[in-house]
Amino acid sequence: MAKMKIKAKVKNGKVKVKAMFRSLMADKEEAEKKQVPVEYISRIVATVNDKIVFEASTSGFMSENPLLKFTFTGAKKGDKLVFTLTDHTGKTKTGKKKIK
Amino acid sequence: MMNRRKFFGLSAAALALAVAPVTSLRAVDFRTTKPKAWEAEKSVDAIKEMFGSAGLKKSDKIKMKAPDLAENGGSIPITLTSKLDIETIALFQDANPRAATVVFSVPEGQKVDYSFRIKMRQTAVITIVAKTRDGQLLTTAKEVDVSIGGCGG
Repeated sequence: MAKMKIKAKVKNGKVKVKAMFRSLMADKEEAEKKQVPVEYISRIVATVNDKIVFEASTSGFMSENPLLKFTFTGAKKGDKLVFTLTDHTGKTKTGKKKIK
Repeated sequence: MMNRRKFFGLSAAALALAVAPVTSLRAVDFRTTKPKAWEAEKSVDAIKEMFGSAGLKKSDKIKMKAPDLAENGGSIPITLTSKLDIETIALFQDANPRAATVVFSVPEGQKVDYSFRIKMRQTAVITIVAKTRDGQLLTTAKEVDVSIGGCGG
């Protein structure tokens, strides 16, 4: 499943996050047209110190290899940002990155 | 008659059930709690399924940045920002076979500041619906012109 690239940086108490996930994000109709298997991320959750800082339920109509940018507060340098992805079949994958 | 062994087995199972929801990060998964909303074809129906039929109020406190004209329908950049205390914010569009595109649940204490990209196969209106923590439903909309459709169209 999906590979991910994560960047997180603290500035003035706010953490800026950029994250990219490798996924075709193809729903039924698109998969049929492009002759690729159905594959999309249905849920993205990010946590720091077991506290949720970002959460999204997504569908196949996000762009291919979705790129997300968001900011949050309440974390410091060196904390670990953990992403959990759930795909359409319910499989999950996690990725970690230290906040710079 | 319930014997001792069975009794212990049952109580262990009950305990496991009681503990499970706590460990699962206490978050709402909109894909499993509102499956109908993800199947709806029109934004209006999807919004009804997701947020109920309460009245929507137009608001300029929810800011959406989207291009007027998208050259590539496969990748339309959208930015959502708001200074209000929002619980849930969702994006719907009428261009694709199903309207619901993405739903963010904003953790307590965090502000809405999200950028992402979506696909649209034709020119259509994007509708944002946000639910504030005091239960108000706010909405904003914008039409995006798509010259080349996404979704392989």
